[in-house]
Amino acid sequence: MLELKKGMTVHLTDGGTAVVEKELGRGGQGIVYAVKTDSGMMALKWYTDRPDDRFYDNLAENIKNGAPSDVFLWPLHITRKEYGSFGYIMKLRPEGYYEFTGFLRAKYRFESYHAITVAAMEICEGFKALHAQGLSYQDLNDGNFFIEPKTGHVLIVDNDNVFPHGEKSGIKGKMRYMAPEVVTGQNPNAHSDKFSLAVILFLLFCGNHPFEGARVASCPCMEEDAERRFYGSEILFICDPDDSSNRPVRGVHPNVIRHWPNLPGILRRTFITEFGKDRLLNPTRRLTELQWQSVIMAVRDNLVICPHCGEETYIDGASGCRCMNCRHSFDIPSILQIEKRSLALTKGNLLYIDRDEVPDVEVIQDKSDKSMLLLKNISGTKWSVDTPSGRTKIVSPGEVMPVKKGLIVTFGSFNKKGTIL
Amino acid sequence: MPVFNEPMPRRTMVLFFLVDASSSMEGGKIGAVNDAIRNVLPMVNDISVNNNDAEIRVAVLKFSSGVEWVYSEPKLASDFEWLDIQAAGLTDMGEACRELSRKLSRSAFMKSEGGFFAPAVILLSDGHPTDDFAAGLNSLKRNKWFMKGIRVAIAIGNDADKDALAQFCLDKEGVFDVHDIESLRKVIRLVALTTSQIGSTSATTADTTKQGQVIAAVKQGIENNKPSSVEEGKLEPAEPKKDNWTDWD
Repeated sequence: MLELKKGMTVHLTDGGTAVVEKELGRGGQGIVYAVKTDSGMMALKWYTDRPDDRFYDNLAENIKNGAPSDVFLWPLHITRKEYGSFGYIMKLRPEGYYEFTGFLRAKYRFESYHAITVAAMEICEGFKALHAQGLSYQDLNDGNFFIEPKTGHVLIVDNDNVFPHGEKSGIKGKMRYMAPEVVTGQNPNAHSDKFSLAVILFLLFCGNHPFEGARVASCPCMEEDAERRFYGSEILFICDPDDSSNRPVRGVHPNVIRHWPNLPGILRRTFITEFGKDRLLNPTRRLTELQWQSVIMAVRDNLVICPHCGEETYIDGASGCRCMNCRHSFDIPSILQIEKRSLALTKGNLLYIDRDEVPDVEVIQDKSDKSMLLLKNISGTKWSVDTPSGRTKIVSPGEVMPVKKGLIVTFGSFNKKGTIL
Repeated sequence: MPVFNEPMPRRTMVLFFLVDASSSMEGGKIGAVNDAIRNVLPMVNDISVNNNDAEIRVAVLKFSSGVEWVYSEPKLASDFEWLDIQAAGLTDMGEACRELSRKLSRSAFMKSEGGFFAPAVILLSDGHPTDDFAAGLNSLKRNKWFMKGIRVAIAIGNDADKDALAQFCLDKEGVFDVHDIESLRKVIRLVALTTSQIGSTSATTADTTKQGQVIAAVKQGIENNKPSSVEEGKLEPAEPKKDNWTDWD
């Protein structure tokens, strides 16, 4: 009997205790309970499949080293081995966060496209930090993320299979998320994590699976040999430019059919490369999380407010500056060029100078002259602006400046210069 | 504006129960089967609703003197109103195999636009087949859906024909013995939940097949359910393995 009951006390190796209050959920490896601890209510994951000592020691090591970043709901304490098994303590999932699986089932919806970019950025941030510590996640799938639909903030859960890159956790992963080389027999590692990450990003932006198109849909019975083919030896991206045999099917994969043409070119090109034969077959060539973050930043730069309907739309999609919501075409009157980035200056748009999800600039309309756009400083630091005639102006937080060609803005603490074109 | 998406398409996994309803099952055994399946259906529904990989449907075939489907098509667990199976008659397990084979076909139960995962079949029996089991099983073995599926059997009591059940599973590891009412209930629950979760569970590096993964998980579950040191410092010995049907009714 490995299940715990209400009122039972488990002992933590650091001297604390946890008293079981109620069951919160159960999965293949174990059961999660709400427990009362010295530092308040927490969650206890209790293993029912009795992992071995190596697993226990690795978990203890991960706890000692701490979470790679704030996006992880990381194990905080490990229990002694008792009642025939063991478990670990983590924080309870905060209110308002929902499993990504629920988004894929359309039970929950992102409240904006911006929230999707935030989620994508935070997921990359988490795995970048994890891989930077020489660790690999090894079982990345749709059940590992809790997301807040309004803001896109992410929590990464199930961090107990995290092992140093190259070491086996004993978990191979979940079909549909496993890298093709893992499907065909290799062990998961940081490179296969990057494949699974790309699948998750595709699901976030497109709402359908990147390898499930006509070929997969026409298979009446998905048995194990077929799975090994479709997700392993014969894996084929649904938007592969050279092979159209696995295209999304009308009526079956409506989300990707709708979203794909709207996505900024840089994101479409990145998916095509990342899910192309070369990267599928050569795991070490896959994009790093930092490279993904640059792509997602460009996507965010291409997400603007439509001047006609006031809704979000991507620009640089297949149809250029045509609103994906109201279908009106519009011009981008001015842009702010920061190094290679071109930020569109349209009314209502928010600009992000650095990588975080806090906007720094708001593009507004001059109340007295509606044809004049203004940049409002909503960052925490002063900007200095050089005019073409050589004067320097200061724009403090809360103040505005006109959108005029030739102005060069130095964004104080970010050490970035932007030119209005 | 919220990002409106349709739910991602999912495949269907049909969970088949083949239930021995012969007269030897009368009383406590069939009562426990009825109770266990009725109680596990809402849990199967939870699994079905909360994963993005497989929609689970349930089909139940009872066999005694002849065979009969409880519903004429696989149903969502939430729509499956369980009506108690009554036990009477012989053990036409061969015919049950033939009937399963007839329905494991794209022109019968296996038609759906979204496609299927290979099915899971759970056979429960306490006795020896009374018809031509070998011929029935041979016809079933020619069915690809069956051969690619997960096959598990529950042998109820010492009189169960474990050889026949092992032949059905094509694997003697797939046969689980139960020797008392409580174990019968628990093993039905365990097998039903394990097979329902198989499409949405991470595989381990040790798993060679899904059948192997299910068998390992059920064995682990049975092991975990054994009475042992539940309360701190107290070790209760496991019950000896013997039939205990006398107090059933």
